[in-house]
Amino acid sequence: MSSNLVQLARTHRQSHAPTAVELLSAAVRERGVLTDEDIRATAAATGLPEATVHGVATFYDDLLAPRGRRHVRVCTGTACFAATGGAHAEQIAAGLGLRAGECSDGGSLSLAETVCLGFCHSAPAIRDRDLVDAGPGAVERVLAGTARQAGEPAVRSLLAEPALTGAGDWSGLRRTLAGMTADELLAQVDAADLRGRGGAWFPAARKWSFARAQQDTCRYVVANGDEGDPGSYIDKHLMERSPALVLEGMALAGYCVGASEGVILVRSEYPQSRPVLEAAIAAARAEGLLGDDILGSGFAFDVHVVDGAGSYVVGEETALLACLHGLRGTVSARPPFPAERGLYGHPTLVHNIETLANVPLIAARGADAYRELSPQSPNAGSKLVCFNERFAQPGVVEVPFGLTVRELCEEVAGGLVGGRAIKAVQIGGPLGGILPASLLDTPFDSAPLAEQGCMVGHGSILAFDDRTDMRRLASHLLAFGAHESCGTCFPCRIGLQRAHEEFASREAVDRARLEALLETLEVASLCAHGSGMPAPIRSLLTHFPGELGLR
Amino acid sequence: MQVTIDGVQVDVEPGTTVLQAARAAGAAVPTLCFDERMAPFGACRVCLVGVAGPDGRADVVASCTTPCRADMVVDTCDPRARRVARVVVELVLSELPVTPAPHTELAAVARDLGVHEPRWSGEVHQPDHDTRHPYLAFQHELCISCGRCVRACDEVQGAFALTAVGRGFGANVVAGIDAGFRDSACVSCGACADTCPTDAITELSLLEIAGATEDDPRSRR
Amino acid sequence: MNERFDSDVTTTCGYCGVGCRLEAHTRAGRVVSISPAADGPANRGHTCLKGRFAHQFSRSRERLSTPLIREHGELRAAGWDEALQRIASELGRIRDTHGPDAIAGLASSRATNEDCWAMQRMMRAAIGTNNIDNCSRVCHSPTSFALRRSLGYSGATGSFDDIEAAGAALIIGANPTEGHPVVGARIKQAALRGLQLVTIDPRRIELADFAVVHLSPRPGTNAAVVLGLAHVAHRDGLLDRAFIQARTEGFEAFAELLAAYDPGAVQEISGVPGADLERAAHVYAQAGEASILWGLGVTEHKYGSEVVQLICSLALMTGKIGRPGSALLPLRGQNNVQGSSDMGALPDTYSGYRKVGDEAVAQAFEACWGVSLSRSPGLKIPQMFDAAVAGTLKAMYIFGEDVAQTDPNTAHVVHALQSLDFLVCQDIFETETTRYADVVLPASSFLEKSGTFVNAERRIQLVGAAIEPPGGARTDFDILLAVSRALGHDMRLQEPEDAMREIAALTPEFTGVTYERLGRRGLQWPVAADGTDHPILYEREFHREGGRAHIAALPYKEPGDAADAEFPLVLITGRRLEHYNAGTMTRRTANIELMDRDWLELHPDDAAQLWIGDGDLVSVRSRVGRIELEARLTERIEPGHVFTAFHFPEVRTNLLIGASADVNTSCPEYKVVAVDVRPVAEQPAHTPALAPAGPA
Repeated sequence: MSSNLVQLARTHRQSHAPTAVELLSAAVRERGVLTDEDIRATAAATGLPEATVHGVATFYDDLLAPRGRRHVRVCTGTACFAATGGAHAEQIAAGLGLRAGECSDGGSLSLAETVCLGFCHSAPAIRDRDLVDAGPGAVERVLAGTARQAGEPAVRSLLAEPALTGAGDWSGLRRTLAGMTADELLAQVDAADLRGRGGAWFPAARKWSFARAQQDTCRYVVANGDEGDPGSYIDKHLMERSPALVLEGMALAGYCVGASEGVILVRSEYPQSRPVLEAAIAAARAEGLLGDDILGSGFAFDVHVVDGAGSYVVGEETALLACLHGLRGTVSARPPFPAERGLYGHPTLVHNIETLANVPLIAARGADAYRELSPQSPNAGSKLVCFNERFAQPGVVEVPFGLTVRELCEEVAGGLVGGRAIKAVQIGGPLGGILPASLLDTPFDSAPLAEQGCMVGHGSILAFDDRTDMRRLASHLLAFGAHESCGTCFPCRIGLQRAHEEFASREAVDRARLEALLETLEVASLCAHGSGMPAPIRSLLTHFPGELGLR
Repeated sequence: MQVTIDGVQVDVEPGTTVLQAARAAGAAVPTLCFDERMAPFGACRVCLVGVAGPDGRADVVASCTTPCRADMVVDTCDPRARRVARVVVELVLSELPVTPAPHTELAAVARDLGVHEPRWSGEVHQPDHDTRHPYLAFQHELCISCGRCVRACDEVQGAFALTAVGRGFGANVVAGIDAGFRDSACVSCGACADTCPTDAITELSLLEIAGATEDDPRSRR
Repeated sequence: MNERFDSDVTTTCGYCGVGCRLEAHTRAGRVVSISPAADGPANRGHTCLKGRFAHQFSRSRERLSTPLIREHGELRAAGWDEALQRIASELGRIRDTHGPDAIAGLASSRATNEDCWAMQRMMRAAIGTNNIDNCSRVCHSPTSFALRRSLGYSGATGSFDDIEAAGAALIIGANPTEGHPVVGARIKQAALRGLQLVTIDPRRIELADFAVVHLSPRPGTNAAVVLGLAHVAHRDGLLDRAFIQARTEGFEAFAELLAAYDPGAVQEISGVPGADLERAAHVYAQAGEASILWGLGVTEHKYGSEVVQLICSLALMTGKIGRPGSALLPLRGQNNVQGSSDMGALPDTYSGYRKVGDEAVAQAFEACWGVSLSRSPGLKIPQMFDAAVAGTLKAMYIFGEDVAQTDPNTAHVVHALQSLDFLVCQDIFETETTRYADVVLPASSFLEKSGTFVNAERRIQLVGAAIEPPGGARTDFDILLAVSRALGHDMRLQEPEDAMREIAALTPEFTGVTYERLGRRGLQWPVAADGTDHPILYEREFHREGGRAHIAALPYKEPGDAADAEFPLVLITGRRLEHYNAGTMTRRTANIELMDRDWLELHPDDAAQLWIGDGDLVSVRSRVGRIELEARLTERIEPGHVFTAFHFPEVRTNLLIGASADVNTSCPEYKVVAVDVRPVAEQPAHTPALAPAGPA
């Protein structure tokens, strides 16, 4: 990330003023399309160069698609693919008479594709203006102009004392401020072996120590609410239904690393999340749980929310920071790590939403209690998982680690709807491997999943039923990968395009050439997007070679 | 501190990158997005080298963005690193509608790595030329999004007249609000043309020279 | 480097004083491309649009390719023998009739050291006069004077590398991103990386956007601002007492003087808000290492040399001199303004700034050249024109300078040129000045010659010929040798390198200079016999009697011109990015497509009062002249001030500049000219239908 552009953004920053990305999003919302004047005005307001702002305007999906007075967004996420094989998107396009990215002549109607709306429990999902309709009949209702807001997913916990499905009571922060030093809190988090829930499984305490070791004492905590993984709606659930848990986790992290400001980046595909979080922030301030002098302890910490604008890769931490600076959401090489040089060049702790939501319990009840949440597993704590619409009982479930995938699929989620057979499940998002039905007895734990080329990842469990065309699945996944590539590193920028072309064509897939691509992506990509995309393709090559049309 | 490059021990200052150490040790590490006037970017991944891990198995890393650690053992000829770097260059060639002119850095790197005709065909960048500036010409189809021009404009000149646009395979570079050099903040310093490894931005007058040679290097594939 | 070029020649840029090292790429005898040398110490692999692109002039059809001789009032082509014969006979006649001091020469700050050396030797040894000057007279002579007075050497105390080493920097009266673009870029980058920048200029220059604080003093009040900065540093105890004690003299008187320049008083004089002045003083004085850079906005004033002395005083009292990051860096205008003066192309000094009256020095030169030399100082440029008008100066030899466009008070200059019996111009194009020449000699550009330039950081760098001079044109060095020979003084030098051997032998600061040692990175003078050079001066002692620097205590004095009822606005002149000075070269390149005219910048408030719209043609009248040009409105200039460049002969901005000049060096006061601006009557669009009735 250009340190000069970060410096310009910092120099001109007014406290909590909208970022360039937000200003452009607002202009698109208001007027349907961005003009050069919008770009100049945004540049003037943010201190960023005009060319830079233009580059931003060409990066994010939300800023690219023209908007009519009625803007329809059809979800092309993997859960919707599993539900319809992509037919819903074609039906909507045909029904509206528009292709994705088009706006009708008079500007009354526009259509865009989006990944994903987080209604995977009820696919396919379509956003019509600000209503998200989902599930059977959604296509017909949208085409008839009678869309209705889809229901929220069911939420359960398998734990005797739920840790992540409650509202949050700030007891962890109260206990900490009443008599725990930052060192003691760090020791608890370390002993609890809290791991990053965003997919990387990195020990949180190491990140915290790294941030604390920096000389620069202006530090930030950033909550990554850019849950772009198609098929996952766990962070959406946390932000919208347990916001206090997230805020408390941020405050605790801030206390430990010496930050006084927290920022939550919320993806624009979740329009409900920001208002709920902001209401929770206001409520916490009113109760003295956020603000200048929290609970009379002298500790100051406050949080504000920033919107994304449609980019999967912004979930990667350096791209996330770029987005918070109002810049193109592209990935940067590390080092420097955000913990050394992050938001506005200052040490920054970036955590996924669910990771932060785990902190209050550790603070309130200690590392031992936390580890005991998963007695059957070497992994500590509990995990939220979510199931897609193919399952009989989809929804968000808090589970201990150590159950088998079969137990999760068949007992917790009740098997597939209509008694159909599971062909395969993809776990943990688009970068996660695909487990065939024959391997469902694999324990839901980081190590055994890794042995099968899979990961816990974000915790989504996405089933494909016996009707799924695996070559089309590969093409679907790679289309997503290529579309979302930020374009920085060459392997991902070109490699995913070429990989997608292999499967999208009617010709046989050249296996040797594909293997060369996959190795290049794995070895040479700058971030997990490029290096992760081969995982599900490798699974398909291993388990379903006959269905891929190889030569 | 000491690091070992291809079996030779060299002393390096803390903060030295593996690429700097390797080049100081005389190793030839190819690069496409690197320009020593600018901060390392780590985009092209052509500078991959092997670094011996604790288990003896080599990690493949981008040498330009990897800082040296004490006692690091680096193999610039690591077979996997070389193999992958070649595929990357092959992919780069596959996105261009024409072969790069022989004098360009891209052509030189391809020669050095022994990469010729790419195995992939597929989509290529569409020809799009802008010659409105008296000195600087854009040939957008030759852009490989290495970011060198954008970074030169940012980190060397400070005009911030260039930006990357689009994303993924569609990424490219433009001046101003896609207005060309003249209607942007460009100060015509030419740092972009100077650093461009493919002639996507080049001097207008040199374009004429390239066209005038009998053996036109820019023949269509 | 690649198959597109026949040769790649490393050389040094011939435009501004930054001294970018360049690679000139040729094909079929023409320069087809120029790229920056990656190892150039000043440019670090970068350059600007002038250095990189503005080389087409070298193959312009308008290049002089044969000598011209005036016959029946017209210039006609002539052979070299005829031209040399004509010069020798005319100058010989004038010397014999009126004495050697009836002849004067101008060396060129655009030419090499070796050219300037040959030129001053020709004037001194072949003609016998010290009437030799160069165009630093009209730009940085005040800097040279003041640095010698305060510190000892006439040169920057440090290097451009100090910009990156400094914690803070003051930029006074300079617009580096346009005038010295590569240094401007380095400053901007440093500011983005944390350099605390203070800009002081009547215009809100681009770098002001990257500054901690920008001060906009009224033109001509720099002295008050610098005294105010020193007052605040003194008042707030931000002095380096140990440095003052050990290494300077004159502080007490300075401290006494400062009492009168509190922020309130300075605001009264300069218009700079007191709080901004304090902020600026703190930024500079509180930084561990801080540098000051200045340009012609400091020097081209009635008291320009005194302001440079005050800048030295400020640096001395805060001890910010002689260390990495703490430097005084005058931004020299031309590629070899430093070297042409170093070479003694000055009326009062030999090379190394040694007085022509210094007997030992004069004898050394006499011994080397085998002639007897004049001990009396010659005329400075403005005095030359006065003497020509008065009839005491009969002939001039003007080498590489278009005085009729660039010097002030153009009408007077033209009068002087017309008054001469004989004028020789040695140039690459016909210019405003060659209109008055009796003989014009076709010379070479920097791309066609070899030798050395000295950049603004005292760095002597090699110049390499990439191509041949066109047609019958010759290198300046060869021309000067030939003219000197024709005048009866054979210098017995073959190549520029021979001249450098002579320079090294006769000039203490150049003692250890050889072309071989200069290599690719050059050397910063003084260069000791063993080749050791000095990126930083005064690390231990100053180059003055006793080794102490002098803290000059000089009060603010009003500028030579001021706005009044008849001329209510103050005109400032300066450069723009796309062109270079008289534009002789850049106007003959495609840079003309990027900027094709001069224009007058004025503030929208003034424009509204004067009923001037953006783009209107306006008339600008000063006490001595009147010009017309297009107006452009900008808030980068303060109300009450107007600005224009002087790149286009059509406009002839310097018609407006009067005779006021620096009290010590006669450097013209280009930067403060009271003017009256009004719309040209033929442009009715913005004239009110019913103008408010004035008092009857």
